Amino acid sequence: MKKTWLTAILAAGALTLAGCNSDNSTEGASSGEGGSFEPSKTIEVVAPAGAGGGWDTTAREVARIFGETGIIEENLTVINKEGGGGAIGWAYIHGQDGSAHNMFVASPPLMFVPLNGQSEHGHEDFTPLANVIADYGAFAVSADSEWDDLNDLFDQMKEDPESVTVVGTSSPGSMDHMQFVRIAKAAGVDPTKIKYVSAQDGGALTSVLNGSVDVFSTGVGETVEQVRAGNIKVLGITAEERMEGEVLSEFPTAIEQGIDESFINWRGFFGPPNMDQAAIDYYEEKFKELSESEEFAEVRKKYGWSEMYMSGEEYKEFLDTEKQEIQTLLEEIGLGN
Amino acid sequence: MDAFQGLLAGFQVALSWEGILFVLIGVVVGTLIGMMPGLGPISAIAIMIPITYGMDPAPALVMMAGVYYGAVFGGSTSSILLNAPGISGTVATSFDGYPMAQQGKAGKALAIAAIASFFGGTVSVIMLMLLAPALASVAISFGPPAYFALMLMGLTAISSLSEGSTIKAMISAVAGIMVVTIGIDPQTGTQRFTFGNVNLLDGFDFLVIALGLFAIAEVCMLIMNRKNRNLSDDQKLGSLKVTRADLKEMSGPMTRQSFVGFMLGVLPGAGATIASFISYIFEKKISKNPEEFGKGSIKGLAAPESSNNAATSGAFVPLLSLGIPGSGTTAVMLGAFLVLGVQPGPLLMSDRPEIFWGIIASMYLGNIFLLVLNLPLIPYLAKILSIPRPLLISLVIMFSLIGVYSISFNTFDLYMLLLFGALGFAMRVFSFPAPPFILAFILGGMMEQAFRQSMTISNGSLSIFVNSPLPLALIIVSLLSLTIPALIKWRSRRLLLKQ
Repeated sequence: MKKTWLTAILAAGALTLAGCNSDNSTEGASSGEGGSFEPSKTIEVVAPAGAGGGWDTTAREVARIFGETGIIEENLTVINKEGGGGAIGWAYIHGQDGSAHNMFVASPPLMFVPLNGQSEHGHEDFTPLANVIADYGAFAVSADSEWDDLNDLFDQMKEDPESVTVVGTSSPGSMDHMQFVRIAKAAGVDPTKIKYVSAQDGGALTSVLNGSVDVFSTGVGETVEQVRAGNIKVLGITAEERMEGEVLSEFPTAIEQGIDESFINWRGFFGPPNMDQAAIDYYEEKFKELSESEEFAEVRKKYGWSEMYMSGEEYKEFLDTEKQEIQTLLEEIGLGN
Repeated sequence: MDAFQGLLAGFQVALSWEGILFVLIGVVVGTLIGMMPGLGPISAIAIMIPITYGMDPAPALVMMAGVYYGAVFGGSTSSILLNAPGISGTVATSFDGYPMAQQGKAGKALAIAAIASFFGGTVSVIMLMLLAPALASVAISFGPPAYFALMLMGLTAISSLSEGSTIKAMISAVAGIMVVTIGIDPQTGTQRFTFGNVNLLDGFDFLVIALGLFAIAEVCMLIMNRKNRNLSDDQKLGSLKVTRADLKEMSGPMTRQSFVGFMLGVLPGAGATIASFISYIFEKKISKNPEEFGKGSIKGLAAPESSNNAATSGAFVPLLSLGIPGSGTTAVMLGAFLVLGVQPGPLLMSDRPEIFWGIIASMYLGNIFLLVLNLPLIPYLAKILSIPRPLLISLVIMFSLIGVYSISFNTFDLYMLLLFGALGFAMRVFSFPAPPFILAFILGGMMEQAFRQSMTISNGSLSIFVNSPLPLALIIVSLLSLTIPALIKWRSRRLLLKQ
């Protein structure tokens, strides 16, 4: 560990010198924080899940754009640390204390999983670098359903909560469940009476299509193709404003239906605990460049993600408030730890 | 564009030089990875995703599909030669394939597996081509109650998977169900039997158990029975020749199980592993000589092999026509589609016909490549058995370790592999059959989840299982399959007593 520190300081020193000599210091190197930082070896980006999922895709696309645009010149490699809904990957990164060459991609499960008692590590145990994108939840029903908007659905749930089943991919207390609870509660539904089942391997969409369950709580992106084919309809999404893009812009928000609540599926990058301030500054800057690049705008468009850059204190505050809200809600429905 | 025109466009993609090249690359990589014990299509596809960045989506996806069914094709090799399943879909292949190899008929076993795989693969591509749009509705016809009934039907067959003591088979099955409950319970989010260990949160991967109970246990047996030279230098490859009589014997199971496998593959969540088990049991149940099964039966080898390959094509139905991934492997495939900017789903056929039909058309080609590549390789593959035994044993152990490590790059899984190896060895010594354990593990977990989903939906009323025709029919079939053999036994005993 000491050796790495020394090398980092030496490298940083050498770079500052080099910067002075060649006087093309384009970036105002954050002096006063102990010099600037440049990665000196391959940066490891952990996707705490298997290949093909949301975390993996985000990590790989971000690493690809960093490489293709040359925003970060050093290599970035994505590795998958699958297990425990993220807990295995988080435990791994937590063990890389102080390293400036490790980071991982995260989203609300970094709060849900520890709050459900399934991980020792939560977002406050890591170094938030930057948020890059926002995604939103969608509540979909079969195309021939009698409900046409969220209020139809929630009226039915207020009258006879036992008659409506909600399905999602993850377990109760996790994102698919809680985004629905959050909106439903704001609409006046008793949050303790919501019936939720979890189904893996494509079972969630299947059981909505064949009518075994009533409502599918999922991400907006998962619904687009089925809506275009006329198989399902989206009653509402959790964004604050209408989204942009074909099909996406047709989805009504909960807010415009008079339900004053939203839920952001934020996605950002975190480093191990005790990352050096110079390295944090470096990554904040780089992620900002990435977020503003045209290449990354293409990626957002491809997956239907929205732009949402946040860093520093603003990001920390946002995360803390979100966690507080989730915790309160979990306690209310009796799932809090 | 109608289906015929679409298919023509598909063949244009598949038969372009690019198409042919990438199908070939796909199936070669797939077979090679499938042959390694434990390394399966998931890791192969995941590795190849970054390679396809910037590629034209049609050849890239044709290649990915080739990796997938190529791995299932190649997976039988190590099941037959080493009793170490190459992929999870070929565990049932070892039930009769390994005994055949031990009897000095390794070459023949590999040839039968290749022919059955080719047959299953080709029949299912024809069905995929003709029925994919129509089958989309079949893929979503199963709700939680029907899945419960289907799994129940599979579990009632446990007794037929074992010889000797039924009680021991039941104990083995119950142990399998107990092991599958380890981990986070999806319906409540609570941890079960994890003892606070993060490595147990997701429970055990199927391959850890399959490689432990089969490959490692087999290795232990070989070491213990050092004097029996049943796997050593003097082992013969045996004739490669599949006689006309053999072909006749396998034609029935191949035809039947290609259909069964395909239909099970269409159902999200079922897939090649479950299909191969159910086909094996199916053939054993209808066979006139069920006692031959497990001792090197040609039928017992052909059935799971045609079924798992057919199921692989079947899995493309929900993926391509609905955008629903029915398994871990197809979920990774879905990711590969999205990276290339192709959205599989109900509109794929009209939006991107060249991709939809290109993949299907390429499968004809891929299956032919696989057969042509695999048959001449058999003599060389079977030479594995002439590797001196100490070396071979070390290789099996090494490959099993690599395979398990590649699942999630976690050393904890390696210890668990050894644990299940020890368990498998103990089970052999005390003659507890391993197949019921494996079957209960793959069916039990889904059965429990489907049962509890049903109970939540129906607010706790069991009537949900008899109120709709599909689960009701499946439950009746499982009841019959339990009672009829017992009735026959009882009647024959009474007849004996009368005499």
